Amino acid sequence: MNCEVCQLKELEVEHFEIREVLRCILHTIVFHRALGLVRPKVIDLELFDITYVQCGDGELEKKIDEKIEQFISWVEKHPNKKSQVCISFYEVKNKHPSWFTNKTERLYWEQWYINLNVSQQQKVHSGKSHPSKIVVDPGENSLEERSNRRAALESSLREVLFQIIKFVNEKKDHVPPISDGVVYFPYEITIPSSSDSAFGMDMIKRMLQTGHPTMLS
Amino acid sequence: MDLHGMAPHSESGKLEQVVSQFLLKSLHIILDSRIPSLHPRDPTCDSRVRKSDKWFNLVLGDRPAALDNLNFWHRNLMDPMIIDIILVQQGTAISTSVGNLLSGSPGRTATETVIERWLVQFESPPRGTASQPSEGSAASYKKTYKKSIIFLRSLYLQTRLLPAYRIFKQLSSSSQPFNFDIIYKVSSFSEPFSRVEEEMMKEYRFVPIEALPGRLHVSVTYRPQLSEFNLQPLTTMPPKIISDYVGSPATDPLRYFPSSYKGDRAISFPSKVMHSPTSVPFQRPHSWTSGFHKPVVNHHLAGSPTVYRTSQMSYDSPSPPMERMQNHRRPLHQRAPFYDECQLSPPFSPSVSPSTPTYLRNSESPRQTRAISETAPVTIPSPISGRSSRYISPNFSDPSKLSLPPLSPRSTRLDNSSNESPSGMRLIKKPEASRADLGSAGQKVLKDNKDDSGRFSGLLSSSDSPRVGFSRSSSKLSFQDDIDDCDFSCPFDVDDVDPPDSRISQNVDWKRNLESTSMGRKSQDAAVGVLVHMLRTAPPLRQDSSCYSSRSLRAEVENDGVATTASGFFMPRRTSDALEELRSYREMKDLLLSKSGTRVLTREPP
Repeated sequence: MNCEVCQLKELEVEHFEIREVLRCILHTIVFHRALGLVRPKVIDLELFDITYVQCGDGELEKKIDEKIEQFISWVEKHPNKKSQVCISFYEVKNKHPSWFTNKTERLYWEQWYINLNVSQQQKVHSGKSHPSKIVVDPGENSLEERSNRRAALESSLREVLFQIIKFVNEKKDHVPPISDGVVYFPYEITIPSSSDSAFGMDMIKRMLQTGHPTMLS
Repeated sequence: MDLHGMAPHSESGKLEQVVSQFLLKSLHIILDSRIPSLHPRDPTCDSRVRKSDKWFNLVLGDRPAALDNLNFWHRNLMDPMIIDIILVQQGTAISTSVGNLLSGSPGRTATETVIERWLVQFESPPRGTASQPSEGSAASYKKTYKKSIIFLRSLYLQTRLLPAYRIFKQLSSSSQPFNFDIIYKVSSFSEPFSRVEEEMMKEYRFVPIEALPGRLHVSVTYRPQLSEFNLQPLTTMPPKIISDYVGSPATDPLRYFPSSYKGDRAISFPSKVMHSPTSVPFQRPHSWTSGFHKPVVNHHLAGSPTVYRTSQMSYDSPSPPMERMQNHRRPLHQRAPFYDECQLSPPFSPSVSPSTPTYLRNSESPRQTRAISETAPVTIPSPISGRSSRYISPNFSDPSKLSLPPLSPRSTRLDNSSNESPSGMRLIKKPEASRADLGSAGQKVLKDNKDDSGRFSGLLSSSDSPRVGFSRSSSKLSFQDDIDDCDFSCPFDVDDVDPPDSRISQNVDWKRNLESTSMGRKSQDAAVGVLVHMLRTAPPLRQDSSCYSSRSLRAEVENDGVATTASGFFMPRRTSDALEELRSYREMKDLLLSKSGTRVLTREPP
């Protein structure tokens, strides 16, 4: 099975915008991969004039929020860095238990990379920036820049959503069959780890788990 | 994957069913996000899962009625399903029903613009192509079904990303009417867009869904920008500043005046307004706003003070607080007040109770009222009373003269309407005493002023009921006069001092010609009496009246009239007394001289 990878358009976000942007994108992706019985829940973003759709699953919402908080914590420790949030869909396959391995295998069949360029305001006095706080630099230029940047981000976010729609409609054959009683496919949200090189290690680890042909050979 | 309700027989039948349900579901998703009337108000409250919801594992709630009739017009699955989302804008009036919109009722200019056109079509290969193996068909409809599930998820999101969703949200989220509406049209054919329209629209085509042997095509042609349409909430009345909304006693706040008047008197209201701007005017917003709210229905600016009543500031022209509230309405205050006050008078109708217009007519009475409510009406009554008590009694023998004394009691009663009730009471007593001397004339006058006296008695009974003093049987006439005097300045203005002076001079003239005037001018008697008292007490008048006195003495002899006699009250008495004394002295002198003359003659030394 191929693992379809979708690299979404990079978004330049400010710290306080991370939560909404990630919620929007992650829920949209999961909604398109929740092929069980779903009662859609329409959510209007607060910071942008965009409406997205959730599965309406409280458990799912909670898990996604936890991951987002972890990512925000990482961003606070690693400011002004490009980062990725990866959501992967996999199938669980039981490996033949052997004496040295009894793990279940995850077969990732789809991965989505959300590329974020988190920019933090230089005017932030404290070392940590609060997501809910916006340090407004008095001055028309900064306000105008901020509004322009906000409009650009909204447009980019809309493009990302269209990108998701296009991807899910173009690539359907790799989607596994839907199991009865299962609402959405197992998924995994991966955020950059603390160490700088950890992201690369995560990739290697994932590749081992998916059994990439190049690795197996 | 469970395909509910599918015909178990042929795969093609199953595919047909999937396609049919796909069309229905697509239509449901599109209409659910475009037509507010079809959108359930609170979809969360409906937790049950219908059979239709299970199709494609997407719970959408109740299907619109239009979908139930889909099979009637969409008999051939090969026919395209074209869904037009139409924006209707009313030029003159909004119509709440689609029928009215489409009927083109006269007087309404409805502009219809197709802002979205969805095309859902199942394309099957031309006949004659090799049929698919059953296994492939069996698998195909399942694949088609799975892919349809994914597609319908993306369609659900896509409909909410397009511009038309914004105006749908506007319509569905707000309870107030807008100057536009969204309707739809479902058909299997449609008129193509004009070139101009095509240039203004964009197209988005979804990836076709395999539905072997055919494919499902879904595309949308939409307007990327809807800002060119002036879409805004509808207000039945264009927002405008009603310059005279607050302060009119003729409007709803009038209702609240009675409540504010409980325990208050009619006159006290204007006095309160005029002199206690901190009281009633501040009370007005509290009492009026609810009144404002009640009658005004057609204005969406509910709560806005600008919406409400005209000329409600009638009493507020002298009242700063209300002016602060409605300072843009000042210009209209000037004209309105007294007419509105007149209109206000019904609660205080002259026939019923002392009315504000009554005393408005009288330049004195406003001053009186002003004096009543504001400061002690001291200056006018007290000196008059002091004087009148002296001079009333002697000259009541003359009926014409007697007309004046009754005035004084009346005036004293009016004066009694002031807050200084004790002095007023005293004043009343003395005129009464003097009235006894009047005889029939006084009684006649009193009888003529029966109503007044009735009210005066009421006044007497309650010393602080100034309004009574100004309510007369002729108050109706005075009411009319008040209407005529609507442009009259505020009775509590300082400038009103001047008119009384002018009136005093007029009254002097009137007194001179009192014989010619009808004694039946009961309505003016009190005022005249007051003027008389003022005349008596005013030093210049005394000096003037000294000139009159000489004339009056002659006139008295000639029965010249009450006016002259009135003027003869003061100085002629003094001069007459003096003259009498002089005469008596002369007589005495003459007598003495006559007597002494003989004696002198006799006493002359030899």
